[in-house]
Amino acid sequence: MDIFPQAFSDAILLAGLYTLMAVGLSLGFGVLRIINFAQGEMIMLGAYGAFWLFTLMGVDPLISLPLLVVAGFALGWVLFHGVVAKVLDAPHINQILLTFGIGLAIQHVAIILWTGNARSTTPDYATTSSVVGDVLLVHGRVTAFAAAVVMVAALIAWLQWSETGRATRAVAENRSAAVLMGIDVNRIYALSFGVSCALSVATGVVVSFILTITPFMGFPMLVKAIAIVILGGLGSIAGTVLGAFALAFAETFVSYYLPEGSGWAEGIAFVLIIGILLVRPRGILGQAVET
Amino acid sequence: MTALLELANLRVGYGQSVVLQDVSLELHQGEIVCLLGANGAGKTTTTRAVSGLLAPWSGEIRFAGENIASIPAHKRVELGICLSPEGRQVFPNFSVHENLLLGSYSKKARQRRAEMFDEVYGLFPRLAERRTQKAGLMSGGEQQMLAIGRALMGCPRLLMLDEPSLGLAPKIILDVYEAVATIAKRGLSILFVEQNVQAALLVAHRGYVLANGQIAAAGTSAELQNSTLVQEAFLGKKPSLLATDGARGHSAAVPAI
Ligand SMILES: Nc1ncnc2c1ncn2[C@@H]1O[C@H](COP(=O)(O)OP(=O)(O)OP(=O)(O)O)[C@@H](O)[C@H]1O
Ligand SMILES: [Mg+2]
Repeated sequence: MDIFPQAFSDAILLAGLYTLMAVGLSLGFGVLRIINFAQGEMIMLGAYGAFWLFTLMGVDPLISLPLLVVAGFALGWVLFHGVVAKVLDAPHINQILLTFGIGLAIQHVAIILWTGNARSTTPDYATTSSVVGDVLLVHGRVTAFAAAVVMVAALIAWLQWSETGRATRAVAENRSAAVLMGIDVNRIYALSFGVSCALSVATGVVVSFILTITPFMGFPMLVKAIAIVILGGLGSIAGTVLGAFALAFAETFVSYYLPEGSGWAEGIAFVLIIGILLVRPRGILGQAVET
Repeated sequence: MTALLELANLRVGYGQSVVLQDVSLELHQGEIVCLLGANGAGKTTTTRAVSGLLAPWSGEIRFAGENIASIPAHKRVELGICLSPEGRQVFPNFSVHENLLLGSYSKKARQRRAEMFDEVYGLFPRLAERRTQKAGLMSGGEQQMLAIGRALMGCPRLLMLDEPSLGLAPKIILDVYEAVATIAKRGLSILFVEQNVQAALLVAHRGYVLANGQIAAAGTSAELQNSTLVQEAFLGKKPSLLATDGARGHSAAVPAI
């Protein structure tokens, strides 16, 4: 049997998820010029949120999604005003250490509160599947893909057509010119950081019925998100989508077609990060970023 | 009558170095005032202080009688202070139309958006033809028109233009100044910075000359045209014994229109 259709559809479904995972990081960097190293832990929090709502109250992750997205936004808003705003003009190393520290703190609190045990949400669609032609479609993955597409599309539409979304792009492009348009840059920063955290939390919710949930799940996802964002060019949303597809296809095809491929696939993100930084530091679509 | 804009003993600089030592000037409703000065004199610094991008060290910035020195820059746009900055600073990846939309971001301007679009596209038909083009792909002159148009979209009470002729061919400079003259006829108050002294004094009612962080000369355009100081500094003419020097001294008042 030809495995290509299966690999292809798996890659597409994964790419949708990867886009959602990386787009928040990309937005945060594009607007604030800060890479939020706690983004992985935001994903983890989203996954736990979905898990507890499902386990304790029987709420379907798709129902808790909007709720947790709002909570994620609020968390980002508070984090911005409480800490991030104070390092906006600090050296990059300070910003990295700060967000990294926030991530570590969240991770340890999660271990204390919820132990390191692996968990998962198990709505019906998590395990059911259907066969279309030669392709097996796990409903959980299709659901996650659909949710991701809806959210990324909403983000793009907001950036493209809303008054505030347009202002957000303007701040990303030229901060002082944006001020001259009457845009409150600090408000846009807080908003972008909030939206970026909300997107990470959303990622956590949709992976809660695909992957195992542990306090440590965030870091590998952060590495992949960084690889995607670098691949697409820091700060470019279109580039992030391309980057997500590139990584998803590379990983999926390596794991299907190479012997022991699924082991190698996990290393692709690292290879990409190193390779791109050596060969084309500005990514596929991105502009050069001054540091 | 109180001035629309009044700078009183403004002192401002960057880091440790002071640029404007002690600058006082005023602009009345409906006036066109130009700010002249050599490279590095502090003209752009003045526009940045008025628009709020730079906080004054001391002194006052009064707008319509109110001290706005501590009002953040984005709120000054709401008050009606709109700047077309040095180097144009258009958003290169935005279309012409989107740049103009951003120009009318402030609440007040948003309500009059349709009207302002008509006005700006009427003033610069070039922009109307290229409304979907990316601003970064436009020529220097077109970008300058866009920067001015974008500032106009904010429904300014005070329009500031920082070197609108910089780097443009003479033919285009004429186009740009024709537009400025058209805007001025509608009674808008304009403060503009210009290197091209001849062009500036043709358009402006009055002018100030900045040197050494202070106002070195002030007067009506005619007065400045004939002033020794201005002739020596900008026009490359030898000082003539007959040249009037009446323009020194601070406010040669011109009746507000
Ligand atoms: N961001 C800055 N940081 C430090 N110094 C600055 C900065 N911007 C301007 N300066 C200095 O302030 C002084 C005045 O600069 P400004 O740009 O206001 O001059 P200008 O009159 O507009 O000159 P030009 O005609 O060349 O545009 C100059 O000596 C300049 O080097
Ligand atoms: Mg200047």
